Amino acid sequence: MDAKRTALYGRLLLTLAVIAASFLPALHSTAEARVYIDITSPGFRQIPVAIYTLSGAGAGAEISDIIRDDLQFSGVFAYVDRDAYIETPLPVFDPGNWSPLGVEIVVKGSVSVDGDRLSATIYLYDVVEAKRLFQKQYKAALRHLRPLAHTISNDIYAAVTGASGVFRTKIAFIGQRDGRKGIYIMDWDGKRLQDTGVGGDLILSPHWSADGKRLIYSAARGRRWYIFLLDFKERKERLLVRSAGTNIAGDFLPDGSGFLFSSSKAGTPDIYLFDLRTSRQRRLTRWRGIEVSPSVSPDGKRVAFVSDHGGSPQVYVMDIGGGNVRRITFSGNYNTSPAWSPQGDRIAYSGRVYGKNQIFTVAPDGSDPLQLTDRGNNEEPSFSPDGRYITFTSDRDGARGVYIMRANGEAQKRITARDIRAFGPRWSPKKIF
Amino acid sequence: MKRFLFLLLVIGLTFSCAQRKVTTSKPGEAQPPGGVTAEQPAEETPGLVKEPEVSEIETTEVAEAPAEMKVPEEEKKEVLRDIHFDFDRYDVKDEDKPVLRAIADWMIDNPGTRLLIEGHCDERGTSEYNLGLGDRRAKAAKDYLVTLGVPADRLQTVSYGEEKPLCTESTEECWAKNRRAHFVVLKQEAGE
Repeated sequence: MDAKRTALYGRLLLTLAVIAASFLPALHSTAEARVYIDITSPGFRQIPVAIYTLSGAGAGAEISDIIRDDLQFSGVFAYVDRDAYIETPLPVFDPGNWSPLGVEIVVKGSVSVDGDRLSATIYLYDVVEAKRLFQKQYKAALRHLRPLAHTISNDIYAAVTGASGVFRTKIAFIGQRDGRKGIYIMDWDGKRLQDTGVGGDLILSPHWSADGKRLIYSAARGRRWYIFLLDFKERKERLLVRSAGTNIAGDFLPDGSGFLFSSSKAGTPDIYLFDLRTSRQRRLTRWRGIEVSPSVSPDGKRVAFVSDHGGSPQVYVMDIGGGNVRRITFSGNYNTSPAWSPQGDRIAYSGRVYGKNQIFTVAPDGSDPLQLTDRGNNEEPSFSPDGRYITFTSDRDGARGVYIMRANGEAQKRITARDIRAFGPRWSPKKIF
Repeated sequence: MKRFLFLLLVIGLTFSCAQRKVTTSKPGEAQPPGGVTAEQPAEETPGLVKEPEVSEIETTEVAEAPAEMKVPEEEKKEVLRDIHFDFDRYDVKDEDKPVLRAIADWMIDNPGTRLLIEGHCDERGTSEYNLGLGDRRAKAAKDYLVTLGVPADRLQTVSYGEEKPLCTESTEECWAKNRRAHFVVLKQEAGE
């Protein structure tokens, strides 16, 4: 594309954005779109944000802390400590109070609790453009304080960056606590852990459907590995694959029409595609070695998987039809667990370095491998739906737990309690259930 | 269609220009507090309270596992012994070939039986690849037994990867014990 055309496209996009913004008065109290900050640019600098303790006793403080933690972890914002604020917490705004502090975004508001009902009013101000970005009211049952706070974080994130946040997403994983092993679901920050009640000693990583309404997973019951589908609406489990051998669920296809899995029903583990509309299975690989862990690209056209074809487990990429196979990992002799980023530009995997497994990402053509972890064993990466974060398991602090980090390896932290042994975390899509 | 889009464009631009006049101000220029705080009708947050339950999922029953056949303890101990593998390998070691020979002879002498071969791994790999590796270990044992004259339809395999360790310490001695193929005798009539 030449420069003139690029400029033309840019103007067209801008025009469309202005039109779109002007039609959203119901969502944003100010119709004019902010000049969004490009959070993907290499020269990106964190945006200093001031977050007042919201008035309204305990709930106000709790919500402000959640917003602060969300925005801080995002890596997009830098929190400026409350001690520095000179402006009243009331919803008045003078940019002159903030420019000397370098603060660019200000969050104020109030919270009220009436019985079991919670309501919050939030004001978001932009110091650089000297205006209010929005004023919004939020209501929820008191027990949904955390999702309410995360919704505020999402709105702030969207108003400043133009991108939608992942603060209301969830992570599904296999947990083992008090001798019971099964599928657990928690908020992306590790809070509000829920036990689905689906379990067994032999159960593997669940995979989300793109609409967030279903999970598929493998479990061995009665000396055979079956693949099940769990529908959150029906709250029911359905048996899908019952072939002899080891059947391991892989990714759902982006359009939800089917999913990938590996099966050893024909002798050695190979990659198959299960069509949910016809219940037909199509075999994609026919090698004599081990082919497992299929992960589909976001456009549904390619599959990353693990094969020991070259003598050691390595990550390969092929077309969804099974052709055009290319190896993409070359360093080390044990690279497994590929996971395609939702933007399609990176593949995360677990690679062995000095006897320990570490998380890497690599471009789908095999260029630019980056090691992101270096303490303990770090395995089973899965991207957040915006591709900016990765969840994985680590034993760096003893018992294996679920961790999250930014996709460049920053801000690594454990999010599950020490009394749960955790395996195979999978980040949900943006919309769930 | 084009006309409609054009109309949208015009409306959109008019609307956004009108908005801009009201809200734009220069950076650093303080706005009168009253102007910024004017209350606007609050909106409900759509769908916020919808937090469906994910507990109490109704699970599916699967076919009952084929029953294990009672085999005299000494035969279990002396004949149906585990065989072991090197790290990330699935080739049968020479030292284990006599073990498989004895198992094949036992199978031929006990025609009413089926053998389930379990493939296992140590904890060092990643769990899905280890299931694949366990599969290959079980298959390597099965293929060898078939070459010794055991009918393939009396041999069944399953992989447990690193999920069922014999030994749970993180030592080379322990890992070596876990990298194994294990043999379980099943009743003939069970299974498919």
